[in-house]
Amino acid sequence: MDLQPIIKVENLTKIYKGGVMAVDSINLEIEEGEVYGLLGPNGAGKTTTINMLTTRLSPTSGNATVAGFDIIRHSMDIRRMIGVVPQDLTADEDLSGLENLLLVASFYDVPKSVALERSQRLLRMVDLVEAAPRQVRQYSGGMRKRLELIIGLINEPKVLFLDEPTLGLDVQTRTTMWEYIKGLKRDYGMTIILTSHYLEEIDALANRVSIVDHGKILVTGTPAELKASLKGDIITFGFRTASDSEKLLEYPGGLEKIDAKDGVLKVRVENADKTLPELLSYLFQHGITLSTLSVQKPSLDEVFLQYTGRSLREEGASDRMKAMMNMRRVRKT
Amino acid sequence: MSGLYPLLMRDLKKWYRNPVFLLTGLIQPFFWIALFGSAMDITRLAGPGFNPALLLQGAPNYITFIVGGVLTITALFTGMFTGTNIIFDRRLGPMGRFLASPIARSSIVFSKVLSSVIRILIQAGILVLAASVIPNGLVFPGGFNLVDVLVILTAIILIALIFSSLFSVIAIRMREMNTIFGIVNLINLPLLFVSYAMFPKDFMASWLSDIAAYNPVSWSAESIRMVIINGSLTSSQWSSVGLWLGALAILAALMVVLTYIMAEREIRD
Repeated sequence: MDLQPIIKVENLTKIYKGGVMAVDSINLEIEEGEVYGLLGPNGAGKTTTINMLTTRLSPTSGNATVAGFDIIRHSMDIRRMIGVVPQDLTADEDLSGLENLLLVASFYDVPKSVALERSQRLLRMVDLVEAAPRQVRQYSGGMRKRLELIIGLINEPKVLFLDEPTLGLDVQTRTTMWEYIKGLKRDYGMTIILTSHYLEEIDALANRVSIVDHGKILVTGTPAELKASLKGDIITFGFRTASDSEKLLEYPGGLEKIDAKDGVLKVRVENADKTLPELLSYLFQHGITLSTLSVQKPSLDEVFLQYTGRSLREEGASDRMKAMMNMRRVRKT
Repeated sequence: MSGLYPLLMRDLKKWYRNPVFLLTGLIQPFFWIALFGSAMDITRLAGPGFNPALLLQGAPNYITFIVGGVLTITALFTGMFTGTNIIFDRRLGPMGRFLASPIARSSIVFSKVLSSVIRILIQAGILVLAASVIPNGLVFPGGFNLVDVLVILTAIILIALIFSSLFSVIAIRMREMNTIFGIVNLINLPLLFVSYAMFPKDFMASWLSDIAAYNPVSWSAESIRMVIINGSLTSSQWSSVGLWLGALAILAALMVVLTYIMAEREIRD
C-alpha cells in the first residue's frame, strides 16, 4: 500500500527582510501517525518552518502540502485541519480557562454543546478541571502550557504542531507534558510535529527527527538510527588487577581500545547489547573479575555535535535567557 | 465573516468585567459635560442680561450647544482604545491564536471596531442623560422627535466607525504602545480644537474656521447640534445636515473598506 505523506515539503525557503535566510530550501516528508521532531538550537529555523506549515507565514519560495492542501492557496482548509500550540502563550488572561477553550472552539464552528463536552474531556486529560472556571492570569506556568496544549486540540486536529511545548518548564512539569503528548499518539494516532532544542524531549517523543541548523536540515532518521550512525557504544571496565586489562584486549572478537589506565579500560563496540554477554562469558572463562562495569549509549547530543560541529549545550546561555523571558510572561502569580 | 461574533462577545465581556475600565468609561461623559460645560462657557464673557442664543446659534445655554461636540469627542477618545486593544492582543499572545485559526483576518479587527462603537453608544446615552439632569443643562428648545433621535444616532455611529477604524488601521502592524499614544496625541487634539465641537464658528479666526469646516468632528457636532437646537428642521437646515451626514457616511465607508483591506493583507502577529 502506497500511502501519501500527510506533510510534504519541497524546497521550502524563507528569507526575512534584510536578507536573513531563516529557512534554506528544506525538504521533508512526514507520514500519517508519526511524531516528527525538529531538533536544533534557537534561531535554527524551526519556528519559521512551523509558521509556514501552519500558514501564519508565507514562504519566499518553495511549497508544502499539509493533509493534501497547499499551504499557499488553501490556507483556510489547512487551518481547519490542524492544531497549533505556538511557542508563545496565546490564552486570554482575562478569560477563564474554559472560556478560552470555548472561544477557540467557536472559531472552528464547533456547536456549543459539543464544545462544552469536548472541553471537559480535554480539561480532565490535563488535570485542569478545577482551574477551568478561574481566570488564566491566576494560572502557574505549567498550567498555562497545559491549557495551550488543549486549546490546540479543541478542533480535534488531524495534525498537531507543537513548537517548543516545554520551553521554560521545570523538569517535573516537562515529564508530565511528555506523557500527555505520548497519550495523543497512543490514543488518537495523531500526527505530531514537534520542535525542540531539548535532546531528551526529542528522544522521548519522536519517531523520526531532523536535525536543523542555520535553516538547513543536516540529517534525518529515527533517534536510534542517528545514534547508531555514531558507530558504537562505549563500555568501561574496571579491573581488580590492572594486568587483566591486557588479557581482555586479546578477546578474539576484536575490541577498539579508546583508553586504558589505572586498571580502567574503555572500548568501543558496535552494539553493547549484543557484545556484552559474549564479553562477560569470555571474562568468566578466563577468570577475570571486574570491580566496575558501565555502558554508555551514544546520545542525540553527540549526534548533534557530529553534524553541527558544536554542542547543543553551548546554547545554554541564550536558552536560559529565552526561558527566563518566557517565564516572566508565564508566571504572574 | 467567520469569528466576528465570538470575538465581539469576548471584547465586550472583557470590558464589562473590568470594573475600573467600565467605571471610567461611564463616568468620563459626566466629567466632560460638567467640565467642558462650565470651563468653556463663553456666554459668561458677554455679561449678565445678554441673550446667549445670539452667541450660540440659538442654543439657550452653553451645555445645550456643546452636547453635540462632547458626544463626538467621546467617540474620538474611546475610538483610540481600538488601536491599543489590538496592540495588547498582539503583545499578550491572543493574536497568535486568532491568526492560526480559520477565521477571517478582518473579523479580528472588525470585532474591535464594533465593540468600540457599542461602547461609544452606551457612553453617549449616559452623556445625554447626564447633560439633561445637571442644572442649567441640556434642553430641547425646538422640541424633540424620532427623526432627531435618528439623526443623532446616525452621526454618533458614523463618527464612531470612522475613528475606531482609523485607530485600528494605525495599530494593524504596530507593536509599541508608546507609538500609538504618540499618534493619538498628535491626532486627537487638533481634531478637537480645529473643529466646531467646542465653539461657534463665528468665534474662530476665519482661516481656522475654514479648515474646521472639513473636519469630520465638525460635521458630526454640527448635525447633532442642529437637531437639538431646532427640533424640526427647515428644508435648508435639512440640506446642511444631509450634507454633513452624507460626508460622514462616505468617510465611514472608505474607512471600513480601508480597514478591511489592511486587516486582510497586513495584520501580523
